[in-house]
Amino acid sequence: MADRAGTPAGALGTLGRYAGPATLILSSLADGAKHGYALTKDIMSFAGVRLAPGTLYEALTRLEAQGLIEPLPSEDRRRPYQLTAAGAAALQAHLRAQRQVADVGLRRLAERWGTA
Amino acid sequence: MTAQTRAARLLRWYPRGWRDRYGAEFTELLIADLADRPRCWRRTADVAAAGLLARLSRAGLSGQLLSPVEQVTASLATLGCALAVFLTFGTMVWSQLVIGWQWGPPGNRATAVAVLVMSAAMAVFLALALLAAVPAGWCLARAVTRQPAGRLARPGALAALSAAVLVTGARHVQNGWPGTGGHAWPHQGLIPGGVAAFGWATTLSVSSYWAHPAALLAFPAAEIAWMTVSPAALAGLATGLNMTLRRLGLPAGVLRYQARLGTAAAAVMVVFLAAAACWVFAGAAGPRNLCRAGAIDVLALIMMMLALAAGWQALRRVWAAGPPRDPLAGPCPPAPRS
Repeated sequence: MADRAGTPAGALGTLGRYAGPATLILSSLADGAKHGYALTKDIMSFAGVRLAPGTLYEALTRLEAQGLIEPLPSEDRRRPYQLTAAGAAALQAHLRAQRQVADVGLRRLAERWGTA
Repeated sequence: MTAQTRAARLLRWYPRGWRDRYGAEFTELLIADLADRPRCWRRTADVAAAGLLARLSRAGLSGQLLSPVEQVTASLATLGCALAVFLTFGTMVWSQLVIGWQWGPPGNRATAVAVLVMSAAMAVFLALALLAAVPAGWCLARAVTRQPAGRLARPGALAALSAAVLVTGARHVQNGWPGTGGHAWPHQGLIPGGVAAFGWATTLSVSSYWAHPAALLAFPAAEIAWMTVSPAALAGLATGLNMTLRRLGLPAGVLRYQARLGTAAAAVMVVFLAAAACWVFAGAAGPRNLCRAGAIDVLALIMMMLALAAGWQALRRVWAAGPPRDPLAGPCPPAPRS
Protein backbone atom coordinates (compact mmCIF):
# COMPACT_ATOMS: atom_id res chain seq x y z
CA MET A 1 0.00 0.00 0.00
CA ALA A 2 1.66 3.15 -1.13
CA ASP A 3 0.70 6.40 0.52
CA ARG A 4 -0.22 9.31 -1.69
CA ALA A 5 -0.29 12.99 -0.99
CA GLY A 6 -3.78 13.99 0.02
CA THR A 7 -4.18 11.01 2.35
CA PRO A 8 -3.10 11.40 5.97
CA ALA A 9 -0.21 8.95 5.55
CA GLY A 10 0.76 10.68 2.32
CA ALA A 11 1.37 13.86 4.29
CA LEU A 12 4.42 12.14 5.78
CA GLY A 13 5.39 10.69 2.41
CA THR A 14 5.88 14.18 0.99
CA LEU A 15 8.63 14.78 3.56
CA GLY A 16 11.00 12.57 1.54
CA ARG A 17 14.11 11.63 3.47
CA TYR A 18 12.72 13.46 6.51
CA ALA A 19 9.83 11.01 6.81
CA GLY A 20 11.91 8.92 9.25
CA PRO A 21 12.72 11.78 11.65
CA ALA A 22 9.18 13.11 11.17
CA THR A 23 7.67 9.79 12.28
CA LEU A 24 9.88 9.79 15.38
CA ILE A 25 8.99 13.40 16.22
CA LEU A 26 5.26 12.90 15.75
CA SER A 27 5.40 9.71 17.83
CA SER A 28 7.20 11.61 20.57
CA LEU A 29 4.67 14.44 20.50
CA ALA A 30 1.76 11.98 20.60
CA ASP A 31 1.80 12.01 24.41
CA GLY A 32 2.17 15.77 24.81
CA ALA A 33 4.00 18.93 23.81
CA LYS A 34 7.82 18.99 23.98
CA HIS A 35 10.63 21.36 23.09
CA GLY A 36 13.67 20.42 21.00
CA TYR A 37 15.93 18.98 23.68
CA ALA A 38 13.06 17.05 25.34
CA LEU A 39 12.23 15.61 21.91
CA THR A 40 15.82 14.48 21.42
CA LYS A 41 15.90 12.75 24.80
CA ASP A 42 12.49 11.12 24.39
CA ILE A 43 13.28 9.79 20.91
CA MET A 44 16.58 8.46 22.25
CA SER A 45 14.73 6.61 24.99
CA PHE A 46 12.05 4.91 22.87
CA ALA A 47 13.86 4.48 19.53
CA GLY A 48 17.54 4.41 20.46
CA VAL A 49 18.21 7.11 17.89
CA ARG A 50 19.75 10.49 18.65
CA LEU A 51 18.47 13.03 16.16
CA ALA A 52 21.16 15.63 15.51
CA PRO A 53 20.02 19.25 16.00
CA GLY A 54 20.09 20.14 12.30
CA THR A 55 18.07 17.09 11.29
CA LEU A 56 15.60 17.61 14.13
CA TYR A 57 14.88 21.22 13.22
CA GLU A 58 14.79 20.52 9.48
CA ALA A 59 12.04 18.00 10.17
CA LEU A 60 10.29 20.32 12.66
CA THR A 61 10.32 23.12 10.10
CA ARG A 62 8.75 20.91 7.46
CA LEU A 63 6.17 19.45 9.84
CA GLU A 64 5.16 22.95 10.91
CA ALA A 65 4.96 24.09 7.28
CA GLN A 66 2.61 21.16 6.57
CA GLY A 67 0.45 21.96 9.60
CA LEU A 68 1.17 18.62 11.28
CA ILE A 69 2.61 20.28 14.40
CA GLU A 70 2.26 23.76 15.87
CA PRO A 71 4.36 25.83 18.27
CA LEU A 72 3.04 26.79 21.67
CA PRO A 73 3.70 30.10 23.38
CA SER A 74 6.66 29.93 25.71
CA GLU A 75 8.01 32.10 28.49
CA ASP A 76 11.63 31.15 27.86
CA ARG A 77 13.68 30.65 24.70
CA ARG A 78 12.79 26.96 24.42
CA ARG A 79 9.63 26.70 22.34
CA PRO A 80 7.48 23.58 22.77
CA TYR A 81 5.60 21.99 19.88
CA GLN A 82 2.40 19.98 19.91
CA LEU A 83 0.67 17.64 17.50
CA THR A 84 -2.24 19.05 15.49
CA ALA A 85 -5.32 17.03 14.57
CA ALA A 86 -3.94 16.66 11.04
CA GLY A 87 -0.61 15.49 12.48
CA ALA A 88 -2.32 12.89 14.66
CA ALA A 89 -4.28 11.56 11.66
CA ALA A 90 -1.13 11.46 9.50
CA LEU A 91 0.84 9.63 12.19
CA GLN A 92 -1.93 7.11 12.77
CA ALA A 93 -2.28 6.32 9.06
CA HIS A 94 1.48 6.10 8.61
CA LEU A 95 2.00 3.79 11.59
CA ARG A 96 -0.85 1.54 10.48
CA ALA A 97 0.77 1.20 7.09
CA GLN A 98 4.08 0.45 8.78
CA ARG A 99 2.45 -2.14 11.01
CA GLN A 100 0.92 -3.85 8.00
CA VAL A 101 4.36 -4.16 6.41
CA ALA A 102 5.86 -5.36 9.69
CA ASP A 103 3.09 -7.94 10.16
CA VAL A 104 3.56 -9.34 6.66
CA GLY A 105 7.33 -9.47 7.05
CA LEU A 106 7.20 -11.17 10.43
CA ARG A 107 4.59 -13.70 9.26
CA ARG A 108 6.65 -14.64 6.23
CA LEU A 109 9.78 -14.92 8.31
CA ALA A 110 7.98 -17.26 10.68
CA GLU A 111 6.66 -19.37 7.80
CA ARG A 112 9.97 -19.69 5.97
CA TRP A 113 12.59 -19.45 8.71
CA GLY A 114 10.66 -20.30 11.81
CA THR A 115 11.61 -17.06 13.51
CA ALA A 116 9.37 -14.15 14.42
CA MET B 1 35.05 29.33 23.64
CA THR B 2 31.69 29.23 25.44
CA ALA B 3 28.80 27.05 24.35
CA GLN B 4 26.82 30.21 23.60
CA THR B 5 29.53 31.40 21.20
CA ARG B 6 29.81 28.00 19.52
CA ALA B 7 26.04 27.81 19.12
CA ALA B 8 25.95 31.32 17.64
CA ARG B 9 28.61 30.31 15.13
CA LEU B 10 26.72 27.18 14.11
CA LEU B 11 23.55 29.24 13.70
CA ARG B 12 25.24 31.33 11.01
CA TRP B 13 24.84 28.43 8.56
CA TYR B 14 21.14 29.28 8.39
CA PRO B 15 19.55 32.14 6.40
CA ARG B 16 18.36 35.24 8.21
CA GLY B 17 14.66 34.49 7.87
CA TRP B 18 15.13 31.07 9.41
CA ARG B 19 17.25 32.51 12.22
CA ASP B 20 14.60 35.11 12.99
CA ARG B 21 11.97 32.41 13.39
CA TYR B 22 13.89 29.52 14.95
CA GLY B 23 17.19 31.06 16.10
CA ALA B 24 16.48 31.41 19.83
CA GLU B 25 15.04 27.94 20.37
CA PHE B 26 17.62 26.29 18.11
CA THR B 27 20.42 27.99 20.05
CA GLU B 28 19.02 26.56 23.28
CA LEU B 29 18.99 23.08 21.75
CA LEU B 30 22.57 23.51 20.51
CA ILE B 31 23.78 24.65 23.93
CA ALA B 32 22.16 21.61 25.55
CA ASP B 33 23.63 19.32 22.89
CA LEU B 34 27.08 20.89 23.32
CA ALA B 35 26.85 20.16 27.04
CA ASP B 36 26.02 16.50 26.30
CA ARG B 37 28.62 16.10 23.55
CA PRO B 38 31.28 18.84 23.79
CA ARG B 39 33.17 17.59 20.74
CA CYS B 40 31.19 16.07 17.89
CA TRP B 41 32.08 16.71 14.25
CA ARG B 42 28.89 14.98 13.14
CA ARG B 43 26.82 17.67 14.84
CA THR B 44 28.78 20.37 13.02
CA ALA B 45 28.36 18.57 9.69
CA ASP B 46 24.65 17.99 10.36
CA VAL B 47 24.00 21.64 11.22
CA ALA B 48 26.02 22.84 8.21
CA ALA B 49 24.11 20.55 5.84
CA ALA B 50 20.73 21.51 7.31
CA GLY B 51 21.66 25.21 7.21
CA LEU B 52 22.68 25.04 3.57
CA LEU B 53 19.46 23.18 2.74
CA ALA B 54 17.50 25.90 4.51
CA ARG B 55 19.30 28.47 2.37
CA LEU B 56 18.44 26.51 -0.78
CA SER B 57 14.83 26.30 0.35
CA ARG B 58 14.65 30.04 0.95
CA ALA B 59 16.09 30.50 -2.54
CA GLY B 60 13.26 28.37 -3.91
CA LEU B 61 15.59 25.57 -5.02
CA SER B 62 14.60 22.86 -2.56
CA GLY B 63 12.16 21.80 0.11
CA GLN B 64 8.54 22.55 0.85
CA LEU B 65 8.98 25.19 3.51
CA LEU B 66 7.36 28.03 1.63
CA SER B 67 3.78 28.69 0.60
CA PRO B 68 3.11 28.20 -3.14
CA VAL B 69 3.23 31.96 -3.81
CA GLU B 70 6.44 32.36 -1.77
CA GLN B 71 7.88 29.31 -3.51
CA VAL B 72 7.16 30.67 -6.99
CA THR B 73 8.47 34.12 -6.04
CA ALA B 74 11.68 32.71 -4.54
CA SER B 75 12.23 30.29 -7.42
CA LEU B 76 11.65 33.00 -10.03
CA ALA B 77 14.11 35.25 -8.21
CA THR B 78 16.70 32.48 -8.29
CA LEU B 79 15.98 31.90 -11.97
CA GLY B 80 16.59 35.62 -12.49
CA CYS B 81 19.96 35.39 -10.72
CA ALA B 82 20.90 32.32 -12.79
CA LEU B 83 19.93 34.22 -15.92
CA ALA B 84 22.06 37.19 -14.84
CA VAL B 85 25.11 34.95 -14.41
CA PHE B 86 24.38 33.20 -17.71
CA LEU B 87 24.04 36.51 -19.55
CA THR B 88 27.23 37.91 -18.05
CA PHE B 89 29.31 35.06 -19.45
CA GLY B 90 27.16 34.73 -22.56
CA THR B 91 27.53 38.40 -23.39
CA MET B 92 31.28 38.12 -22.99
CA VAL B 93 31.39 35.28 -25.52
CA TRP B 94 28.89 36.79 -27.92
CA SER B 95 30.26 40.35 -27.91
CA GLN B 96 33.80 39.29 -28.80
CA LEU B 97 32.45 37.28 -31.75
CA VAL B 98 30.22 40.02 -33.14
CA ILE B 99 33.06 42.52 -32.71
CA GLY B 100 35.30 40.10 -34.59
CA TRP B 101 32.70 39.90 -37.38
CA GLN B 102 33.03 43.66 -37.87
CA TRP B 103 36.70 43.17 -38.70
CA GLY B 104 36.08 40.18 -40.90
CA PRO B 105 33.46 37.40 -41.41
CA PRO B 106 33.99 34.17 -39.44
CA GLY B 107 36.45 31.67 -40.83
CA ASN B 108 34.15 28.66 -40.99
CA ARG B 109 30.49 27.72 -41.12
CA ALA B 110 30.28 26.52 -37.52
CA THR B 111 31.37 29.90 -36.17
CA ALA B 112 29.04 31.80 -38.49
CA VAL B 113 26.03 29.67 -37.52
CA ALA B 114 26.96 29.94 -33.85
CA VAL B 115 27.17 33.73 -33.98
CA LEU B 116 23.89 34.00 -35.88
CA VAL B 117 22.09 31.73 -33.39
CA MET B 118 23.59 33.52 -30.39
CA SER B 119 22.59 36.90 -31.83
CA ALA B 120 19.03 35.67 -32.40
CA ALA B 121 18.97 34.30 -28.85
CA MET B 122 20.14 37.67 -27.54
CA ALA B 123 17.29 39.36 -29.39
CA VAL B 124 14.80 36.92 -27.82
CA PHE B 125 16.33 37.51 -24.36
CA LEU B 126 15.80 41.24 -24.88
CA ALA B 127 12.19 40.73 -26.00
CA LEU B 128 11.48 38.48 -22.99
CA ALA B 129 13.06 41.04 -20.65
CA LEU B 130 10.79 43.76 -22.05
CA LEU B 131 7.73 41.51 -21.77
CA ALA B 132 8.65 40.72 -18.17
CA ALA B 133 9.39 44.35 -17.31
CA VAL B 134 6.00 45.74 -18.40
CA PRO B 135 3.72 44.11 -15.77
CA ALA B 136 6.44 44.24 -13.11
CA GLY B 137 6.97 47.93 -13.78
CA TRP B 138 3.21 48.51 -13.64
CA CYS B 139 2.98 46.74 -10.26
CA LEU B 140 5.98 48.73 -9.01
CA ALA B 141 4.43 52.03 -10.08
CA ARG B 142 1.14 51.13 -8.37
CA ALA B 143 2.95 50.09 -5.19
CA VAL B 144 4.94 53.32 -5.07
CA THR B 145 1.92 55.55 -5.70
CA ARG B 146 -0.37 53.74 -3.22
CA GLN B 147 1.97 53.59 -0.26
CA PRO B 148 5.30 55.04 0.83
CA ALA B 149 8.17 53.29 -0.96
CA GLY B 150 9.58 52.10 2.42
CA ARG B 151 10.84 48.56 1.87
CA LEU B 152 11.33 49.14 -1.84
CA ALA B 153 13.52 52.22 -1.47
CA ARG B 154 16.82 50.50 -0.67
CA PRO B 155 16.76 47.75 -3.31
CA GLY B 156 15.36 50.20 -5.83
CA ALA B 157 18.14 52.67 -5.12
CA LEU B 158 20.73 49.89 -5.33
CA ALA B 159 19.42 48.79 -8.74
CA ALA B 160 19.25 52.36 -10.06
CA LEU B 161 22.74 53.26 -8.80
CA SER B 162 24.25 50.04 -10.18
CA ALA B 163 22.57 50.57 -13.56
CA ALA B 164 23.87 54.15 -13.68
CA VAL B 165 27.43 53.02 -12.86
CA LEU B 166 27.20 50.21 -15.43
CA VAL B 167 25.93 52.39 -18.26
CA THR B 168 28.25 55.32 -17.54
CA GLY B 169 31.34 53.16 -17.06
CA ALA B 170 30.67 50.90 -20.02
CA ARG B 171 29.99 53.85 -22.32
CA HIS B 172 33.27 55.44 -21.22
CA VAL B 173 35.31 52.26 -21.72
CA GLN B 174 33.70 51.19 -25.02
CA ASN B 175 34.58 54.53 -26.57
CA GLY B 176 38.16 54.31 -25.36
CA TRP B 177 39.21 51.44 -27.62
CA PRO B 178 38.45 51.39 -31.35
CA GLY B 179 38.77 47.61 -31.55
CA THR B 180 35.50 47.19 -29.66
CA GLY B 181 33.39 48.15 -32.61
CA GLY B 182 33.11 51.76 -31.60
CA HIS B 183 34.50 52.58 -35.03
CA ALA B 184 32.33 53.71 -37.91
CA TRP B 185 31.95 50.36 -39.68
CA PRO B 186 28.46 49.33 -38.79
CA HIS B 187 27.81 48.06 -42.32
CA GLN B 188 30.49 45.37 -41.85
CA GLY B 189 29.04 43.83 -38.76
CA LEU B 190 26.16 41.55 -37.91
CA ILE B 191 24.75 43.96 -35.34
CA PRO B 192 25.30 47.66 -34.62
CA GLY B 193 28.84 48.28 -33.41
CA GLY B 194 27.75 50.25 -30.37
CA VAL B 195 25.66 47.35 -29.06
CA ALA B 196 28.55 44.92 -29.41
CA ALA B 197 30.94 47.39 -27.80
CA PHE B 198 28.59 47.98 -24.89
CA GLY B 199 28.33 44.23 -24.28
CA TRP B 200 32.09 43.93 -24.44
CA ALA B 201 32.60 46.79 -21.99
CA THR B 202 30.04 45.59 -19.42
CA THR B 203 31.69 42.17 -19.29
CA LEU B 204 35.30 43.32 -19.52
CA SER B 205 35.97 41.82 -16.09
CA VAL B 206 35.40 38.30 -17.44
CA SER B 207 38.94 38.01 -18.67
CA SER B 208 41.86 35.60 -18.63
CA TYR B 209 44.12 38.58 -17.90
CA TRP B 210 43.39 38.04 -14.20
CA ALA B 211 45.65 34.99 -14.50
CA HIS B 212 48.40 37.10 -16.06
CA PRO B 213 48.98 40.00 -13.66
CA ALA B 214 52.03 41.30 -15.51
CA ALA B 215 50.03 41.75 -18.71
CA LEU B 216 47.09 43.16 -16.80
CA LEU B 217 49.21 45.85 -15.17
CA ALA B 218 50.09 47.13 -18.65
CA PHE B 219 46.41 48.15 -19.09
CA PRO B 220 45.41 51.79 -18.48
CA ALA B 221 44.56 52.37 -14.81
CA ALA B 222 41.00 53.39 -15.67
CA GLU B 223 40.41 50.10 -17.47
CA ILE B 224 41.75 48.06 -14.56
CA ALA B 225 39.55 50.08 -12.21
CA TRP B 226 36.55 49.35 -14.43
CA MET B 227 37.35 45.63 -14.46
CA THR B 228 37.21 45.78 -10.68
CA VAL B 229 34.12 47.96 -10.33
CA SER B 230 31.91 46.51 -13.08
CA PRO B 231 31.35 43.08 -11.42
CA ALA B 232 30.10 44.88 -8.32
CA ALA B 233 27.80 47.00 -10.49
CA LEU B 234 26.47 43.88 -12.26
CA ALA B 235 25.92 42.12 -8.92
CA GLY B 236 24.30 45.24 -7.49
CA LEU B 237 21.92 45.52 -10.43
CA ALA B 238 20.88 41.85 -10.21
CA THR B 239 20.53 41.98 -6.42
CA GLY B 240 18.61 45.26 -6.44
CA LEU B 241 16.13 44.07 -9.06
CA ASN B 242 15.78 40.72 -7.35
CA MET B 243 15.07 42.24 -3.93
CA THR B 244 12.69 44.81 -5.37
CA LEU B 245 10.60 42.16 -7.10
CA ARG B 246 10.57 39.89 -4.04
CA ARG B 247 9.49 42.73 -1.77
CA LEU B 248 6.95 43.96 -4.27
CA GLY B 249 4.87 40.83 -3.82
CA LEU B 250 3.63 40.33 -7.37
CA PRO B 251 0.05 39.03 -7.73
CA ALA B 252 -0.44 35.36 -8.57
CA GLY B 253 -1.49 36.11 -12.15
CA VAL B 254 1.66 38.11 -12.84
CA LEU B 255 3.74 35.36 -11.22
CA ARG B 256 2.22 32.78 -13.56
CA TYR B 257 2.97 35.06 -16.50
CA GLN B 258 6.56 35.53 -15.32
CA ALA B 259 6.89 31.77 -14.87
CA ARG B 260 5.95 31.24 -18.53
CA LEU B 261 8.48 33.86 -19.60
CA GLY B 262 11.06 32.18 -17.35
CA THR B 263 10.41 28.85 -19.05
CA ALA B 264 10.90 30.48 -22.44
CA ALA B 265 14.11 32.13 -21.21
CA ALA B 266 15.43 28.77 -20.01
CA ALA B 267 14.75 27.26 -23.43
CA VAL B 268 16.63 30.13 -25.08
CA MET B 269 19.50 29.57 -22.64
CA VAL B 270 19.77 26.00 -23.95
CA VAL B 271 19.88 27.22 -27.56
CA PHE B 272 22.46 29.90 -26.76
CA LEU B 273 24.64 27.44 -24.84
CA ALA B 274 24.50 24.93 -27.70
CA ALA B 275 25.58 27.62 -30.17
CA ALA B 276 28.42 28.77 -27.89
CA ALA B 277 29.60 25.19 -27.48
CA CYS B 278 29.44 24.73 -31.26
CA TRP B 279 31.81 27.69 -31.67
CA VAL B 280 34.19 26.63 -28.86
CA PHE B 281 34.52 23.04 -30.11
CA ALA B 282 34.03 23.37 -33.88
CA GLY B 283 34.76 26.99 -34.68
CA ALA B 284 37.77 28.42 -36.44
CA ALA B 285 40.03 31.25 -35.34
CA GLY B 286 39.02 33.32 -38.36
CA PRO B 287 40.76 36.35 -39.84
CA ARG B 288 43.26 38.06 -37.54
CA ASN B 289 42.59 35.33 -34.97
CA LEU B 290 39.54 37.29 -33.82
CA CYS B 291 37.30 34.24 -33.34
CA ARG B 292 39.77 31.99 -31.52
CA ALA B 293 38.25 30.23 -28.51
CA GLY B 294 40.45 30.36 -25.44
CA ALA B 295 40.46 29.04 -21.89
CA ILE B 296 38.23 31.89 -20.74
CA ASP B 297 35.60 30.81 -23.27
CA VAL B 298 35.68 27.25 -21.96
CA LEU B 299 35.30 28.66 -18.45
CA ALA B 300 32.37 30.75 -19.68
CA LEU B 301 30.75 27.60 -21.11
CA ILE B 302 31.11 25.87 -17.75
CA MET B 303 29.65 28.83 -15.89
CA MET B 304 26.74 29.03 -18.32
CA MET B 305 26.07 25.31 -17.85
CA LEU B 306 26.03 25.75 -14.07
CA ALA B 307 23.74 28.76 -14.34
CA LEU B 308 21.44 26.81 -16.66
CA ALA B 309 21.33 23.88 -14.23
CA ALA B 310 20.42 26.22 -11.36
CA GLY B 311 17.82 27.93 -13.54
CA TRP B 312 16.19 24.63 -14.53
CA GLN B 313 16.09 23.50 -10.90
CA ALA B 314 14.41 26.80 -9.97
CA LEU B 315 11.92 26.34 -12.81
CA ARG B 316 11.11 22.81 -11.63
CA ARG B 317 10.30 24.24 -8.21
CA VAL B 318 8.13 26.92 -9.83
CA TRP B 319 5.98 24.35 -11.60
CA ALA B 320 6.00 21.97 -8.63
CA ALA B 321 4.72 24.66 -6.29
CA GLY B 322 1.10 23.62 -6.84
CA PRO B 323 -0.41 20.66 -5.00
CA PRO B 324 2.22 18.70 -3.03
CA ARG B 325 3.46 15.49 -4.56
CA ASP B 326 4.69 12.31 -2.97
CA PRO B 327 8.41 11.82 -3.66
CA LEU B 328 8.74 8.96 -1.17
CA ALA B 329 5.73 6.99 -2.40
CA GLY B 330 6.25 4.13 -0.02
CA PRO B 331 5.13 3.01 3.39
CA CYS B 332 8.63 2.57 4.83
CA PRO B 333 10.48 5.76 5.78
CA PRO B 334 14.25 5.76 5.34
CA ALA B 335 16.39 5.24 8.40
CA PRO B 336 16.77 8.47 10.33
CA ARG B 337 20.11 10.20 10.50
CA SER B 338 21.54 9.93 13.98
